[in-house]
Amino acid sequence: YGLMLLFAWLSPSQALYFHIGETEKKCFIEEIPDETMVIGTYKTQLWDKQTGSFLPSTPGLGMHVEIKDPDAKVIILSRQYGSDGRFTFTSHTPGEHQICLHSNSTKMALFAGGKLRVHLDIQVGEHTNNYPEIAAKDKLTELQLRVRQLLDQVEQIQKEQNYQRYREERFRMTSESTNQRVLWWSIAQTFILIITGIWQMRHLKSFFEAKKLV
Amino acid sequence: MRWSMEVLRVCVACLLLCVSAISAFSQSLDSDFTFTLPAGRKECFFQTMKKDASLEIEYQVLDGASLDVDFYLQSPSGHVIATDYRKSDGVHAVETEEGDYMFCFDNTFSAVSEKVIFFELILDNMGDGEESEDWKAYVQGADLLDMKLEDIMDTINRVKSRLGKSLQIQALLRAFEARDRNLQESNYERVNLWSCTNLVVMVIVSGVQVYLLRSLFDDKRKTCT
Repeated sequence: YGLMLLFAWLSPSQALYFHIGETEKKCFIEEIPDETMVIGTYKTQLWDKQTGSFLPSTPGLGMHVEIKDPDAKVIILSRQYGSDGRFTFTSHTPGEHQICLHSNSTKMALFAGGKLRVHLDIQVGEHTNNYPEIAAKDKLTELQLRVRQLLDQVEQIQKEQNYQRYREERFRMTSESTNQRVLWWSIAQTFILIITGIWQMRHLKSFFEAKKLV
Repeated sequence: MRWSMEVLRVCVACLLLCVSAISAFSQSLDSDFTFTLPAGRKECFFQTMKKDASLEIEYQVLDGASLDVDFYLQSPSGHVIATDYRKSDGVHAVETEEGDYMFCFDNTFSAVSEKVIFFELILDNMGDGEESEDWKAYVQGADLLDMKLEDIMDTINRVKSRLGKSLQIQALLRAFEARDRNLQESNYERVNLWSCTNLVVMVIVSGVQVYLLRSLFDDKRKTCT
């Protein structure tokens, strides 16, 4: 099965691509429920001035991949991969995970053209399942395999819905807290205004009386 | 004898797997990304399309000051197909020609606030999808009753596409919710900050007023005598 993975990035891809500068860092946010697997694949191409096009891949030019967890930016993965790579992680807490990519190149010569083309594909949840592999492992017929896929899809939807419920609860708590605070602050402000007004008047009155003006 | 047949079957499956895996780095037909666009910057993305396929792009601004961004979509020939100025969300669908489509999110009008942008690409008729779903080569054993099975397969396919649509809609709803949540959280912080400021300002102002009035009368005293 390792051989399969090796063949996985040999061909030109049809994924979304973007250009990245030498020291530039591009970050993507994935908001996912817990216990969800995420697989990201990328392929890099370098601009070649001589041929005026992007070369298929450049050896020695790696990408540094950093993945951060929702709370307090704990780093799950901070690794260097080759010019074509694949990274995987499974979330343990629900929330916004951040996937950052930047090139590890220190040689200015490689980036003479200025741009590196990065093809990126990020698969989340049940899209990460390799169904031919599952069919082989569990010895499934085609019908069984298709039903298994449906079950995985429904499970993913259910997980997302649970996460949605949790997020909506947090949202409602923040809204209610804001509402309460607006109320209390307004009452406190009015109270302080009145007290200050009274204090001012009394102080000035006693001041004028002391100075024999009134 | 039976064991060696099993081994042969597994080997064939492996080989076919390898062959199919060669074309494995093609994007699934739907994908979404969320990224941070810094202030005063423009970010562009490219998507390679085939002829007569369809591309639908849907985007939303999730966080950042006025929650708007400029957007434009450019065909491979350099012709700008769609533009949006300072919109909070948008959707564009095009029938594609062969080549690389470019779409850009522009935050240059804002000097201080960075935006979090979510976009979703829905590709159709790309031609690769059907082949990758053909699992006949990897499954083992046969299902009985072929005639009725076709109907079952059809139904399952329909259910699968509907579930896929559900997932897309969920992604969209998630984006809406994230935007509302970010809005509320920034409201919360804003209320806290300005209330404290208000309090402090009021107390200072009243103190200053009293001091000024007192000093006014002190001078008068001096000039009167």
